[in-house]
Amino acid sequence: MASTREIQSRMKSIKDTMKITNAMYMISSTKLRKARKSLEETETYFYTLQTMMSRILRHLPELENEYFDIRKDKAPDERVRGIVVVTADKGLAGAYNHNVLKLAEQQMAGCARYKLFVVGELGRQYFAAKGVNISKHFNYTAQNPSLHRARVISETILERFKRGDLDEVYLIYTDMVSSISTEAKLLKLLPMKREEYVQKTGVFSDEIVMNPSPQAVLKNIIPDTVMGYVYGALVESFCSEQNARMMAMEAANKNATAMIHDLSIEYNRVRQALITQEITEVVAGAKAQKKKKQARKGALNLE
Amino acid sequence: MNTFGLKIIASDKVFYNGRCSRLVVPALDGEKEILAHHQDMVIATKEGSLKFTSSDEEAWVTAVVGIGFVHIANNRVTVLVDTAERPEDIDEVRARAAMERAKEQMRQEQSIQEYHVSRASLARAMVRLKEAGKHEIK
Repeated sequence: MASTREIQSRMKSIKDTMKITNAMYMISSTKLRKARKSLEETETYFYTLQTMMSRILRHLPELENEYFDIRKDKAPDERVRGIVVVTADKGLAGAYNHNVLKLAEQQMAGCARYKLFVVGELGRQYFAAKGVNISKHFNYTAQNPSLHRARVISETILERFKRGDLDEVYLIYTDMVSSISTEAKLLKLLPMKREEYVQKTGVFSDEIVMNPSPQAVLKNIIPDTVMGYVYGALVESFCSEQNARMMAMEAANKNATAMIHDLSIEYNRVRQALITQEITEVVAGAKAQKKKKQARKGALNLE
Repeated sequence: MNTFGLKIIASDKVFYNGRCSRLVVPALDGEKEILAHHQDMVIATKEGSLKFTSSDEEAWVTAVVGIGFVHIANNRVTVLVDTAERPEDIDEVRARAAMERAKEQMRQEQSIQEYHVSRASLARAMVRLKEAGKHEIK
């Protein structure tokens, strides 16, 4: 059994850690509130953007567009897959980062040539440690997702796609399914697929005129749509990250409380055992003395 | 005057949602005015100022908008832009600083992609400055 001092110092260290986890819980809960607000604000825009996109594409005449180019002439092993991975800047968020990285590894294993675009410090360090070449690292974009950052990311991707450096682009991010569950998701950004947008509703509606021309409209909308997806993914990921960290910290707090509870019971037992032992020793000593005295008295009486 | 449903949605907020009688948008090849019962159409728009009159009051409401598009279907108009601001909300100092920054970036040697980004931010800054200036005179 450990000594009382050992147990006490253990309890103190747990309490100190608990202070940190408590603070982190508080910080991420306020950040989550902020992120939720921005998520709500942007939801209308992206929801409308997606429905509009599907509606426009449904009415679109067959046309050649560089964003729809599926690169038929390239062999499967020659295709370069661009993977945008959104991770956090810090760990301590439960399985949040691992889920994203696992999905990214799966994607990387599934194709011959790939290029990685990593958002977030943790992902960068992870891939750097594994010796995987990262094409571009968007510094600290995981914190405070902004439109500007989303624009920089989407511009980079679109530029490389148009140049032919990338043949397909996937986005890996964490989706906030509900306020308690999150899920790592894979989203295909480019090339855009007509079928994905065309829903077979069977509703007939009149031809929509594109002004000035369908090409010009698409050229205007598609970069925005891609940016929209990237921004949405950044916001969702940030939200999920804070949520994951909050839950991880809550679990840590709970575990710490349980540990302190167990340790305090053990501490009391040890203390009690010590006292009992001391009393026994004192009593035994006193008894021995008494016996000795009595024995001496008996001997005197006998004389 | 006939009215139509207008919804102006920016990426961070719903700027306007209600009835409208006239709407002028900055299309790629100049300004376009949309009245009630317009033909179904999609119009691509660039950075510029958009103005509309709501049905009850005749005064024009101006908004500085970013790149986006206008979707017209069944007398309902949806304007989807990345940013939308009222001229009085624009911080002129910040806009000027953004313009200077963008101009400086344009002067530096950079990739095509960086050039696109800085040119877009320059265009945004200039539109914002223009509208903010107009607002001040009034």
